[in-house]
Amino acid sequence: MSTDRGERQVLPRLNDYGAALVLLCLVAYGVFRVPNFLSEMNLSAILYQYSIIGLLALGQLLVVLTAGIDLSQGALLALTSITTALVMVRHGPVMGVLAGLAVPAGVGVVSGLLVSRLRMPPFLVTLGTMGIARGMAMRIANARPVPIHNEAFISFGSGTLIHVPVSTFLWVGASIGLAFFLTRRPFGRHVYAVGSSEESSRLSGVSVASVKLAVYVLSAFLCAVGGVIWTSRLGSGSPVGGQNYELESIAAVVVGGASLFGGKGRVDGVVAGVLIFGVINSVLNLSRISPFWQGMIKGAVVLLAVALTQVRSGAAIRAPEGMARA
Amino acid sequence: MLLLIALAAVLSRGVFIKPTNLLNLVFQNAILGVISFGQLLVILSAGIDLSVGSMLGLSTVLLMIFQFLGLPVALLLTVTIPAVFGAVNGYFVAQRRLPAFVVTLAMMLFVYSLAQVISGGAGIYSGLNGAPLSPVLVSFNRRGLLGVPLPAVVWLLVLAGMALFLRLRLGHFVFAVGGNERAAVFSGVPVTMVRFLAYLGASVLASVGGILAVARVGEGHPAAGQTYLLDSIAAVTIGGASLSGGEGTMIGTLLGVLILGTLNNILNLLNVSPMMQPAVKGVVILLAVYLNGRREQR
Repeated sequence: MSTDRGERQVLPRLNDYGAALVLLCLVAYGVFRVPNFLSEMNLSAILYQYSIIGLLALGQLLVVLTAGIDLSQGALLALTSITTALVMVRHGPVMGVLAGLAVPAGVGVVSGLLVSRLRMPPFLVTLGTMGIARGMAMRIANARPVPIHNEAFISFGSGTLIHVPVSTFLWVGASIGLAFFLTRRPFGRHVYAVGSSEESSRLSGVSVASVKLAVYVLSAFLCAVGGVIWTSRLGSGSPVGGQNYELESIAAVVVGGASLFGGKGRVDGVVAGVLIFGVINSVLNLSRISPFWQGMIKGAVVLLAVALTQVRSGAAIRAPEGMARA
Repeated sequence: MLLLIALAAVLSRGVFIKPTNLLNLVFQNAILGVISFGQLLVILSAGIDLSVGSMLGLSTVLLMIFQFLGLPVALLLTVTIPAVFGAVNGYFVAQRRLPAFVVTLAMMLFVYSLAQVISGGAGIYSGLNGAPLSPVLVSFNRRGLLGVPLPAVVWLLVLAGMALFLRLRLGHFVFAVGGNERAAVFSGVPVTMVRFLAYLGASVLASVGGILAVARVGEGHPAAGQTYLLDSIAAVTIGGASLSGGEGTMIGTLLGVLILGTLNNILNLLNVSPMMQPAVKGVVILLAVYLNGRREQR
């Protein structure tokens, strides 16, 4: 095909920066056509809400880079919440937070082991751990929210530093940290390697099982961090929250240009992806669009965004010219 | 898998395998069954369809509001409109090669909202102009063909239809595409068309499920299909299909549905809180996958 040469120049760029482009368009729309979009209240609200999803998306990126997926993120959020609240009531905030971080990480270990050692498909494994984590959260909380009375803890999540929510700092910090790790540390390179080609990685001496285990634990840990913030904002431990958060985190990762087949994806894309969702939500709400229509618009936008950012040099699967067609 | 069935048979002291009980199971789970077959089709092609639940919801809403046009027309619209969305799924996944997970996820959101917009967010009990639900549908669950309840008949028809389809060349193509796409391409299999048809089929079957759902509860509600999404994936997986495609059987999915249905039943009988049920299902899924994996390695 005559356009192949030209396409190959444009496509990879689109893949990497497509998310930023979409984000730019959305922001432009918001700035010019939506009242109050640029207000400090709105912008901080977006960051406020989406820093948590942002943390989840970072963890999801790690897992997706290894050609996996983590469906348990929302449930882990709830589990963190309940654990933190319950432990805090008896042993104070520090123990509460530690427990809240450790327990979900433990579930992450289980997921990771099932995927790496028993070689079970990540989709089903995390589907299972999602159910288990959710069940655990419900069970130990007796399906009721657990109120927290520790003022310091509660104000932590809602606090702002120079007008920027604390949670955003955490998110930004985590993003930068992750980007650094993925690009400049051997572990990061191993993650990309495992996602691109497990066999080659194994032959090169990379411990595929360890890498896979690590990403699930890290994802769970990031969920836990997000969960702690979330709990502090809610002011109570909630066993029912976080529903479908993992779907948003996966969507953000994919919109950000990552490939569900592994080996492809960048932190900046994911950040853009998360912000895209944040902006969409904000625009829809500020434009006072009925919540019923919001889903339709979101769905359509996600579809378009994915179509733009998932351009793949299709030459891989098409049969080479000259082969007889059936 | 056989182990599970044997176990169930023994535990219930022969009650489980009694024809009447089995028939009843089939009747109860017809909706899940129909949807699961649609999901099987897609999973065989190495894809997944997250939008089936919403499609079911949409079709229940559509069926209700179109009642005033008479039953045949209403049925036609109920099946064709979701099929359009299924075609969109198929286009993006097959033609544009976007990841099925995200495409069907977006579609799920979209269709769910659409159903909400149409229904005003709540359940509908009668169509536009106040047209009531057609008496055929109202008594659907009570009627039978040769003693077999109609919903079960519908499901069994779908089963037979699909079993036949999978034996045809086109059916084999589905397995080929899911199993080894490259090989399929080089063998001249029209991969794009096959994939496309799989998603189309899934949405059509989801709407059939929706029709059965309306017959069961007499209500059209956008959220009617919520539980069926997870269950359909679980049923297909328990039945031995592989998420990477190319592997799976009709019988397996059938059994998967029945097992899941029984599980649901047992959980309810034991008064397990609906909150805990996903946990139990999660464990069952893990167990099933693990056992299936072991079987393959032998």
